[in-house]
Amino acid sequence: MTMTRREFVSALAVAACLLASPALAQDKGLMAIITPSHDNPFFKAEAVGAEKRAKELGYDTIVLVHDDDPNKQSEMFDTAIARGAKAIILDNAGADATVAPVQRAKDAGIPSFLIDREIKESGIAISQIVSNNYQGAQLGAEKFVELMGEEGPYVELVGREADTNAGIRSSGYHDIIDQYPDMKMVAQQSANWSQTEAYEKMESILQANPKIKGVISGNDTMAMGAWAALEAAGRTDVILVGFDGSNDVRDSIIKGGIKATVLQPAYREAQLAVEQADQYLKTGSTGQQEKQLMDCILIDETNAKALETFALSE
Amino acid sequence: MLRQIARPILAAAAFACLSGFTIVWDKPASETGEKAVPQTDEARMAAYAQENWQNKVVPVIEEHVVPLAKLRGLVAESADKAGEAYGLRPEGEANPWNFAVSGEGKIVGAKLKSRAAKLEVDTDGDGKGDVTIQLGPVIRGTALRDAMPFINFTDFRDQIEFAKLANALNDVAHGRLSLPESDPTGETAHFEGVFTLRGDAASIELVPTKLTIGG
Repeated sequence: MTMTRREFVSALAVAACLLASPALAQDKGLMAIITPSHDNPFFKAEAVGAEKRAKELGYDTIVLVHDDDPNKQSEMFDTAIARGAKAIILDNAGADATVAPVQRAKDAGIPSFLIDREIKESGIAISQIVSNNYQGAQLGAEKFVELMGEEGPYVELVGREADTNAGIRSSGYHDIIDQYPDMKMVAQQSANWSQTEAYEKMESILQANPKIKGVISGNDTMAMGAWAALEAAGRTDVILVGFDGSNDVRDSIIKGGIKATVLQPAYREAQLAVEQADQYLKTGSTGQQEKQLMDCILIDETNAKALETFALSE
Repeated sequence: MLRQIARPILAAAAFACLSGFTIVWDKPASETGEKAVPQTDEARMAAYAQENWQNKVVPVIEEHVVPLAKLRGLVAESADKAGEAYGLRPEGEANPWNFAVSGEGKIVGAKLKSRAAKLEVDTDGDGKGDVTIQLGPVIRGTALRDAMPFINFTDFRDQIEFAKLANALNDVAHGRLSLPESDPTGETAHFEGVFTLRGDAASIELVPTKLTIGG
């Protein structure tokens, strides 16, 4: 039997849950935590943050990874329902495709608490806590324009189309950048949030447009891929700005590579979702509106050192 | 909001199909005086902003407006106390406060030939600008939207629609301003508007809802 790494990690996660020390659990039941692949440290931080807070509050946890596959996500909802989860903490696999499984969980009496990505319906999930991507993208774009000296040819790497966050960040970038007529976008391509795809796209974009001065990326994993391609081509003069606030990009900023990124408070968002789930299970209400925005913070060489695992120390 | 209207219609249509009835419209909607539903997010939000400006937005500002000098004193003591007293913000953790303020000061700088035109105003008499009045047409930020208690993110489809709403409200504010034709540097600006508090209130970026220059 062969097992992919992903399945192995999932199996490990399940095994870890099954082996979880009963001393920790105060019998408040099971909380299912479902996110995209932990290959992206952003989603790993969410899962770790949610799991830690859930255990502190006395829940058992099951941590699952849907790999941005709606079918897989649907199966995981069935698993959570079958296992009698008390609540589901979810970073979802698509704004449209996720409506049905969240509804199915609701019909089974299991409330869902969404983080990071929205779904296109309200009134089904109990909470949707998302980063203020538009505000964050504007911060990143302002820094990008300043670094570019308000002029020059640049490239935009866009995220996965099915994800609302890809569109909103692009729109936030352009609402700022397009005010500067000397900023010229020579290529705009989706690398689907992926590091390897961003590397390949950046390579070919560089061949077609050797004179580019800057790259603005919809997330940090694509920024890391693009930076590797720029380094390989000896083009470390290119100004690169990302989005997420990962430790990888932090290290690159400190070394003078990538210039800036925008921190989403992912760790806190995940913890907050668990706290709201706990509150909801105890009282029947979170005391908050369903959809909640959390502001993002610009990270550059002045504050990069204070960044650790998607949280900024004071 | 529009989806809430659309749903019963769809439900009625589905019912009609299933039960074999046919709906016969007396007249097309365009002939009955009802407005056609604008299709793009931008157009829908622009209509929403226009509809609600006079009846809902203006009263919120009038009710909460505080003199800027007074607010600065309060913020210096405690931003949260100032916020509790005069601030407006959506529920939820880590949402910054927004304030409606009025004030006046000498215009010490003006950038008029820009898509993001602005005035720098000195309101504390030290000769340096401490309020940036955004003249637009491109006005940054979401202060106007986030200051409105009747606007909830939950009622909107997603962040994209919600961002268009912020821009639409800024557009209405811009459209109601009478802009200076020549460089107003040295003149006095009397203003009212909304801003988002970030850090202290030493320098603020205002979305103006009223502006007179001169005097």
